[in-house]
Amino acid sequence: MIRFDHSKRVTFCDGWTRRDFLHVGSLSCAGLSLSQFNAMASQGDIDEKKEKNCIMLFNLGGPSQLDTWDPKPLAPAEIRGPFNPIATNVNGISISEIFPRMAQHADKMGLVRSVYHTAAAVHDTGHQMMQTGRLFEAGIEYPHAGCVHGFLNGPRGEIPSHVVLPESMGPTGGNLPHGQNAGFLGKTHDPFVLNADPSEVDFKVPDLLPPEYLTAIRVDRRRRLRELVDEEAEKFESNSNARLLDANFQQAYTLMSSRNAREAFDLSLEKTAVRERYGMNRFGQCCLLARRLIEAGVRFVTVNTFLTVFNEITWDIHGSKPFTSVQGMKTIVAPMFDQAYSALLEDLQDRGLLEDTLIASLGEFGRTPKINPAGGRDHWPQCWSVFFAGGGIQGGQVVGESDDIGGHPKDRPVTPAEVVASIYQVLGIDLESALPGPQERPLPLVEYGVQPIRELL
Amino acid sequence: MSQVSRITVLLVSVCTAIGLCSGGVLKAASQKSQDVDPVIVILPTDVVLTGQHARQRLIVEAVVDKQFVADWTERATFRSADEQVAVVDQSGMITPVADGHTRITAQIDQLQTSISIEVRNMKKPSRWNFRNHVLSVLTKMDCNSGACHGAAAGKRNFRLTLRGYDPQSDYETLTREVLGRRVVKTRPSHSLVLLKPTGAVSHGGGKRFSTDSLEYRVISEWIASGTSGPSENDSLIESIEVFPKQALMKVKETQQLSVQARFSDGHIEDVTRWCKFETADANIASVTPQGAVTLQGYGEGVVTVWYLNLVDVARVTSPFPNTIPVEVFQHAENFNFIDRYALQKLESLQIPPSPLCSDSQFIRRAFLDAIGILPTVQETTNFLKDRSLEKRRALIDMLLARPEFIDYWSYKWSDLLLVSSRRLPDEAMWSFYTWVRRSVASNQPWDEFAHDLVTARGNTLNNGASNFFVLHKDPKDLIENTSVALMGMSITCARCHNHPLEKWTQDDYYGMVSLFSRVKMKNGDAAGDVTVFLSDQGEVPHPRHGRPLNPQPLDGSPIAMEGTGDRREFFSQWLTDSENPYFSRALVNRVWANFMGRGLVESVDDLRVTNPASNEALFAGLAEAFVDSGFNVRQLIRTVMNSATYQRSSETVSGNEDDQKYYSHYILKRLSAEVLLDCFSQVTGVPTVFANYPRGWRALQLPDSSIDSYFLDSFGRPLRETTCECERSEDPSLSQALHLSNGPTLNNKLRAKGAIDRMLEKGLAEESVLEELFLAALSRYPSDREKEAILVTLHEFTPAEVSQPEDEKKQRRQLYEDLFWAILTGREFLFNH
Repeated sequence: MIRFDHSKRVTFCDGWTRRDFLHVGSLSCAGLSLSQFNAMASQGDIDEKKEKNCIMLFNLGGPSQLDTWDPKPLAPAEIRGPFNPIATNVNGISISEIFPRMAQHADKMGLVRSVYHTAAAVHDTGHQMMQTGRLFEAGIEYPHAGCVHGFLNGPRGEIPSHVVLPESMGPTGGNLPHGQNAGFLGKTHDPFVLNADPSEVDFKVPDLLPPEYLTAIRVDRRRRLRELVDEEAEKFESNSNARLLDANFQQAYTLMSSRNAREAFDLSLEKTAVRERYGMNRFGQCCLLARRLIEAGVRFVTVNTFLTVFNEITWDIHGSKPFTSVQGMKTIVAPMFDQAYSALLEDLQDRGLLEDTLIASLGEFGRTPKINPAGGRDHWPQCWSVFFAGGGIQGGQVVGESDDIGGHPKDRPVTPAEVVASIYQVLGIDLESALPGPQERPLPLVEYGVQPIRELL
Repeated sequence: MSQVSRITVLLVSVCTAIGLCSGGVLKAASQKSQDVDPVIVILPTDVVLTGQHARQRLIVEAVVDKQFVADWTERATFRSADEQVAVVDQSGMITPVADGHTRITAQIDQLQTSISIEVRNMKKPSRWNFRNHVLSVLTKMDCNSGACHGAAAGKRNFRLTLRGYDPQSDYETLTREVLGRRVVKTRPSHSLVLLKPTGAVSHGGGKRFSTDSLEYRVISEWIASGTSGPSENDSLIESIEVFPKQALMKVKETQQLSVQARFSDGHIEDVTRWCKFETADANIASVTPQGAVTLQGYGEGVVTVWYLNLVDVARVTSPFPNTIPVEVFQHAENFNFIDRYALQKLESLQIPPSPLCSDSQFIRRAFLDAIGILPTVQETTNFLKDRSLEKRRALIDMLLARPEFIDYWSYKWSDLLLVSSRRLPDEAMWSFYTWVRRSVASNQPWDEFAHDLVTARGNTLNNGASNFFVLHKDPKDLIENTSVALMGMSITCARCHNHPLEKWTQDDYYGMVSLFSRVKMKNGDAAGDVTVFLSDQGEVPHPRHGRPLNPQPLDGSPIAMEGTGDRREFFSQWLTDSENPYFSRALVNRVWANFMGRGLVESVDDLRVTNPASNEALFAGLAEAFVDSGFNVRQLIRTVMNSATYQRSSETVSGNEDDQKYYSHYILKRLSAEVLLDCFSQVTGVPTVFANYPRGWRALQLPDSSIDSYFLDSFGRPLRETTCECERSEDPSLSQALHLSNGPTLNNKLRAKGAIDRMLEKGLAEESVLEELFLAALSRYPSDREKEAILVTLHEFTPAEVSQPEDEKKQRRQLYEDLFWAILTGREFLFNH
């Protein structure tokens, strides 16, 4: 039996708790159907208007702050790098010339130029901290912000609450967990991972639908028989992986029988012009898919711009193989991001979704101010830039400032914990709440005293 | 209790106190021992105070039944027999006064105990030493941690070596850089190294210590006395020891730890104050920066103690709140030494063992774990019918001799050695795989296997093992993956700096690199044809000073640069020496995890002092037996499989439900990707088709991990890119459930001509179909209840009337397809249990 156990009960007007609601949802054959859900929503049991969603764009590899969103034209050549700054549609804010389209959206963006972390300068630690707010220590794996959102608020109808596109982060050299799962909340709260490339011609979600020869009656028969056999063995209930496997089957049934879910993943329902606007590449189509999923009720979508830093052109511009050169970033990575990001912003705005959807664009660290002998830049967690748009945040501003060479925060230093706290704040999650940690130990959502970035809100 | 027996207990306990410190098997405070009044002892027992700066803090432990059960230091009053030699305060801190001997006594109510101590060198001037004191302070205060000035790039232009691994360079950084402002000899209090951490001027790392602390005194007095640097004559730290090493405690109780360091000149120091304490599992034990451990939950908690780059561990145990009669452990099945150690551990933690599993469970479990296939219906029924008492032993011997045994273990070691056509041409990949396979088939002793691997040379198509060097052209990659594969140890961190979690230094690392720096390769004419040979020159420079280091295997002794032949032979000798604990343990741990679902050390690739085994005595016993058997892997497997510990039921009994670590019951394992796919083929009678492989080839027979298969990838097959058990995943996921439900792998097998058709052709009754399916998939007969429930459900779905006999046949087939599907996706099938 799938169960979404919550640390906090939310009581609805008719006396139901959210726990009851979710429990019923998982008991019923196909989950709570969309019509039931809508009925509840129309009765005011679920106030959709107030609920915000999030799309997290994770710039895996660690974009260079100096070559992207924090240019330093007055610094010496070996620091400022090969690109010139360009003006944006907000007076006083300039970004690198490799993002001409983004420059037209600075009025929507809250740019934070003073993020830093103090852990080891490997990709994996930054992934952990930027997605969960914490570094993993003493054997405790913390949950991704999207999993926390899903855990506290449950899925909307049949569709998963948190989806990762196109795949989970792969190896980036540290052999550490990346913080893209539910961690101690338990694997039942892990995100749904697409595991496919939506830019491929015959893209579909792998195995989402039964093959044609399996009629509805047979699907039902299989399921009943399976449950009969499974009931016998109580010992499986004491093992977390065995419980998880059962929960996965329940989730699979729910997803398979949902028209809403099926259509949400179907990119062929989009006009070609719309698809092309996002860019006919993996990241572009993931951004488009993210928009469709949010429309269909997904609460949180995480898009990984890349899956690994090896043998792929990414933000990881060490300058030498198997990593990326500055030129590779200029000709491939930046145009791809520039196009998809601006398309996503415009599209969400046109559809009236931007106000309720936070777009958080994050990276795991910055890069060395001084260009290395290979012509690239190495890992530098001492200072980098992230930016937010939508979800009601204050656009058209820069929060924090780096020093003359983009090496350290000059004022208003911001930690990864504060970045994640800001996401929680926008999503309406009480920062004072606690999560059920390992062995029922309550763990605070954020460490005591961690504040969201007030300037953005 | 009578006066006489109390005295006896006291004597016994005091006599064994020293033995206790070095560890012994802990027994839970059973009903019997709780009646015994505790005695007290002082720790540490060996106290010599050398010089004016010396201090020693004492701990008073309550002892019951030869075990430390409580920290009673706070309750004790201390007394020095001769205050002209040393004084002791009421926290147990001894301060030396003058050279000589005296006794320190601790008293709690009627209990009393004492130790003799010695004070030396009080007349000699005592100076703080850079290497042993200043660096200790900087390390304890985190100044040189990876997050602060120990980062590769330093912080704010101040860069120290990580945890002080290079004293000379740190000394120069402190005294020479920034125009000497960091230390000001003429006015020590104006030194930045004191102004910053005390918060007198702004410091990114905040305030670290105050001006009235001992830390401040050490640094300021060191500066005032002339900032002497590290010297050849410094006494070097040789070892550290934590007290108590083991303690039995109740949840929420606290135990203070004390740490002594021994130096090369023979003197001992209490270094507790500058040690760092860490805990591996904060849910069982937490520890303060001062070394006070508090138990948070039941089980065994391990605290790691660091002093400079030396490590020791202390274990604190809190038995589960069960009262298990001692007979439960005495009468539990005990087939070989594994069970003896496992039961001792269970008894100490008060976790009852589950009974042995049924014969059905055993045959299925043993087949899957040892050879990766299911027993046939015939094999299962024969085994169930067999009345012999020795039938499990006989089955194990039979499995070890099966050809599938070779498939299974060749696959496993190919994972370990990264056999894959991703990085090797097909011909070379096959040559490497065949070499592994031949070794498994002949049960080559593991030390010879390792030797042949690490000293391989010659043509890669003739000697498959040479491909190991082709896969790792950079000697740095080579030593890193070799260490993980053969010693279960990651030394990658030491490539750039001292290992932060282990004792390995960057020098150890480059000594290892030198062992392999003369291996060269030459491409031949054919694909995959490479000749691996040894050159008489070629070195890899150490990145810090640009000079190569003498070849040296980790903590082995170095050899000369020239004229020593194949340096790899020297490495191989050190590696496979029976005194090298890592080599035998790494293999034992891998084999153990294969059968028991969890390594004695987790994760399996992470053997290090700071990551202790869940049952050290068992681990040591297994490793010793493995060495004694001449590194006989098959013998090790036989021993594990014949233990009662392996044969316990996966069903829990009251009191062991929460145990996932101490082997009180068999741990459920999801079948691995390859085994699962093969089992689907076996039960449906429809083999998987792998491109370019003959029909009927099983997944476990593939030499290569880069054969396209969505199924294998989604169920967690490793890529074989990095040597790490973590490459393989056995976690269930939503994609797997979707794939089994809707994907082609299982569905196509059910639709293809196979077992279902054979059952239909034989015209088996539904009940017999059910029975055969259960035996084939689950190695058991269906229960009456299952039979009835399933047959009723089958009929509910069978349409009453069908017009055409053809339709009837088709519908019956679909009915069976669905029945097969239900069994093959059930948890009883997907798990080994």
